[in-house]
Amino acid sequence: MTCSDVRRALPEVLDGGPNGTVAAEFETHVQSCPECSALVSDLKLITSEARQMAASDEPSPEVWLRIAAQLRAEGLIRDPEIREPESAPAAPRPTLVPAAARRRWSAWWLAPVAAGLVAAGSYMVSHKPQRQVAQQQGPATPGSNLAPNAAQVPPTPVPDTTPVPETRADNSAPVSSPAPGLRERKPVPPNSDASSSVTSDSAISADALGATVEPMSSADDQQLLSVVSTRAPSMRATYENQLKAVNSDIRETLAYVKRNPGDADAQQHLMDAYQQKALLYQIALDRIQ
Amino acid sequence: MASQQRASIGWARSQQASLPQGTVVTLVVATCLASAAFAATKEYRYTVGPHANISVDTQYGAISVKPGSDNEVVVTATIKSDNVEVDQQQTGNRIEIASHLLQGTDQRTGQVDYELLIPPDATVNLRSSNGPLSAERLHGDLTLEGAEAVVSVRNIDDAHVHARTMRGPITLINVHNGHVEVASISGEIHLNSVTGLLVQASSGSGRIFYDGDFGSGGDYRFITHSGDIEALVPADVSAGFRAHSMLGRVQHDFPLKPRHSRFHEEVGRSFIGTTGQASSEVVLRSFSGRIRLKQR
Repeated sequence: MTCSDVRRALPEVLDGGPNGTVAAEFETHVQSCPECSALVSDLKLITSEARQMAASDEPSPEVWLRIAAQLRAEGLIRDPEIREPESAPAAPRPTLVPAAARRRWSAWWLAPVAAGLVAAGSYMVSHKPQRQVAQQQGPATPGSNLAPNAAQVPPTPVPDTTPVPETRADNSAPVSSPAPGLRERKPVPPNSDASSSVTSDSAISADALGATVEPMSSADDQQLLSVVSTRAPSMRATYENQLKAVNSDIRETLAYVKRNPGDADAQQHLMDAYQQKALLYQIALDRIQ
Repeated sequence: MASQQRASIGWARSQQASLPQGTVVTLVVATCLASAAFAATKEYRYTVGPHANISVDTQYGAISVKPGSDNEVVVTATIKSDNVEVDQQQTGNRIEIASHLLQGTDQRTGQVDYELLIPPDATVNLRSSNGPLSAERLHGDLTLEGAEAVVSVRNIDDAHVHARTMRGPITLINVHNGHVEVASISGEIHLNSVTGLLVQASSGSGRIFYDGDFGSGGDYRFITHSGDIEALVPADVSAGFRAHSMLGRVQHDFPLKPRHSRFHEEVGRSFIGTTGQASSEVVLRSFSGRIRLKQR
């Protein structure tokens, strides 16, 4: 089993695991590959935290403190240094950019963010929250308040501040507003599941998805751009445009998934879109430190 | 050189009050001209054993890798200004080269171009923001990463090739019997005569173009969000195909034999079928891009 196979099998493993030969090969590879081992550990942590957070709209401060403590313990984040005021400004002199090893720490916050993006996509694809919600709640009546149902779905590990385009589930539902720049794109083909009367299950899942699959934290994006501005100012516009593009792709795919909640291919594309964003963060992690 | 320049600037500042203004201006202009004209070439040589591991990391500049002697690595670095230095280190069979930028260095003054001659079986890791990055005629594993770098890989056998860019195009030509994973956010991916057990390419908005025969016994996956996917293959190709675009058109001009699949075929948006012995598996997926499988 290769690293790529492990990544493909990961959602299944997080769901309870494959059995037989696949499980054995998976374990063997993970034990021998530090990179995959770290990835599996991170995703298990994120998944378990996400499950704990499922019962409430907002995670308790303890969760964030625990995550912060763990990141701090692993050296991934540090408290800001407090400097003594200098009595007199030092004479300006040419200084070296910090050594490579030290520079790498400063942008390590990106690593868990990138992992979180992949995990969020993976989680969404593999868990199909709409079915769980529907089973827990039973058939919902049209027009019922769906917010409590959405709250049953595990939120993403990253707090969301990005506005989500609304989805048009049917003619009476709130009107979908495509992401900026998407109006010129090819129209979504009429889908009987989406355009006809929508069952209560799919209505629930649409809202549930809206609550679940928006790990596009503009706070993280802003932090990324802030670091880029500091370390590679000439690259800021490029990263900003690329971020807009991947976020737009995620929103576009998300809107489609909301309209077609049972479409496995669409869910896979959503996962791909998240992986694109994770790739962008990884490139930033490598290049702007 | 850098210390000499700093010393001369410091001396100029200390003497500024006593020197005529014209002299100071002349000194400054001379210093600037000297910086602009700066371009130094340095050569580093290392003796290595089989399967050496070589990493080159530069913020700005080209990296080119070609085969050389079996037991020696030769690195030629062309440094464009004295605002950048080359850090290099050998630990056993592992060699690490990195550009070291001084503060205030920009893309022009921080550029270092590297040319490497290496043992063909060495493992190579290359990184540059703007590149270009190129590697050819090797059979060790390759990793190439660059935000805007143009990535070019040619004539590679029996190796893993991993490449990723933000918007730089990636071109692979004559890469065989390996494990290929290339990804870009918006760059085009061009694969010409690329075969292997796993060939995976993904791009968000970039186009993916494949020209080849999909080898034998391989797993090929090309994925885009809005980029088009086009595969140009011979009539006698032996592969099982599954193509699907959520919003884009899907076309092929092969007489595909139907195959059992849990995925239903949707005319104009997907096709599923086999040709020949279906020895390789080919998956073409796009969200809104067009997919076209063409006979050569």
